[in-house]
Amino acid sequence: MPKLTLKFDNAVLNEVPVGSKEVSIGRSPDNGLVIDNPAVSHYHARVFNEEGRLMLEDFGSLNGTFVNGQRVKMVSLKPGDSVAIGKHTILVSDSRETADPFWKGGAPKPAAPRINETVMLDTKERREFMQKVAAVGESSQPAPARVKLATLVVRKGRTDKKEYTLSDKLTVIGKSPMATVKLTSWFAPKAAAQINRREDNAYYIGAADRTPTVNGAPAVHPIKLSAGDVIAVAGVELEVVYRD
Amino acid sequence: MNTEPFTEIEFGAQSDCGRARENNEDCFGAVPELGLFILSDGMGGQASGEVASRMVCDAVAAHCREAADNSSSFGGGHDAETCVLGDRLTAAIRLANSAVRCAAQENPSLLGMGATVVAALLSDERATIAHVGDSRAYRLRNGRLEQLTRDHSFVAEQVQQGLMNEQEAAQSNLQNVLMRAVGADAEIQVEVTEELFAADDTLLLCSDGLTKELSDAEIARALEENDDLQAAADCLIKMANGAGGNDNITVIVLRNAPKLVGAFQRIGRWFKGS
Repeated sequence: MPKLTLKFDNAVLNEVPVGSKEVSIGRSPDNGLVIDNPAVSHYHARVFNEEGRLMLEDFGSLNGTFVNGQRVKMVSLKPGDSVAIGKHTILVSDSRETADPFWKGGAPKPAAPRINETVMLDTKERREFMQKVAAVGESSQPAPARVKLATLVVRKGRTDKKEYTLSDKLTVIGKSPMATVKLTSWFAPKAAAQINRREDNAYYIGAADRTPTVNGAPAVHPIKLSAGDVIAVAGVELEVVYRD
Repeated sequence: MNTEPFTEIEFGAQSDCGRARENNEDCFGAVPELGLFILSDGMGGQASGEVASRMVCDAVAAHCREAADNSSSFGGGHDAETCVLGDRLTAAIRLANSAVRCAAQENPSLLGMGATVVAALLSDERATIAHVGDSRAYRLRNGRLEQLTRDHSFVAEQVQQGLMNEQEAAQSNLQNVLMRAVGADAEIQVEVTEELFAADDTLLLCSDGLTKELSDAEIARALEENDDLQAAADCLIKMANGAGGNDNITVIVLRNAPKLVGAFQRIGRWFKGS
């Protein structure tokens, strides 16, 4: 019985036999062979048996289906053919060539041994991959350029200074000795909220002993800060300012 | 360092093969006197994943020990924008990266091995966390579990860029594709995050064998219900095995405990709450 092996780089992701029933290929989870990638159409193509021949039909997909490098609409497949959809490859083989006892007995196909293995991409593969999948690939590699630091300007409330430049990766707002933005009112919490400067050099504010708000919206989960945002927590109001 | 800290680090840790794998490629290390805790999940053919994760833990611990003894021995330049402890962990992981790559070049049977790493250096009320790959750090504070690290995996980056939603990510067949790993490249980009680790906060370092089996709510419950941290670690492993145990599972549970013992601790908490 012919078999389709879905590969991503060197990793085998799935193997599907093509019996009398056709195998549909696409991003939608109800396909026989699911390729989970934005470059793949929901119902992209199908592979089926017709009078003893294995056929591939592209459903007019946006990004196309390629067999051995040629864009195709409808072709017959033979063992050894390589079908490219997006960045994924589907290898066509005849399972008679691989002596696998499970197949002959008709028992359920065991999972390909590598399916659950973690794989890593090297730099070149990763770069090509990210460029292909999305034009925004560079955001996975933060620019080593000069870091633009934000400043918090105190608009309301009691603090030890009028403004704070956020040069640390962690800024705590509170009464604690480790706090950068030191609250001086009597009942202020030790750590009201925290601001993290992440790898992308953007700042994210999150809850500590209090849940801060950003422009009135509570930061239950960390919220990314932008210039002009107003943070309110534990009786103080702070404005985010970027200076050159 | 002449002031005694008011808190001390309690920890519990456990690693388990799980129910589907034949060997345990996870590894962890603890150097409590430095406040250093390391967890690594290895990958590669035959036994090489085990070798890689062990090398990562050893190399990170060795560098941090050395750097603590002689604070001028940091590898690499000092970046004024990041903290000293962050630099220390970054240098340690870079050294681990070259150790793994050298070993793989010298021994063909180890070729292609790699590992994830998540390491925490704790000092007072601050946790400096460095990671590469999809091993994670979480913090439980006031009953709320928060993921502190972002996976360096294909699906996580797709979610961050808005190309995939959380549900699509959870169902994706590309879950196991890592964008960064120790041993993958000569250059390694280490992500460092600094976090508040206040008294009574609980920190969890774990491999993906835990987080692929249990929800945040289940993890939070296990941490809250076990005051003893070794019991919490054992409980998490048991739950992950109960939910399938499809991968190796490793957890390190840390708490910044007020420096009082037993009943006094409760009285202390009671006073603090008043």
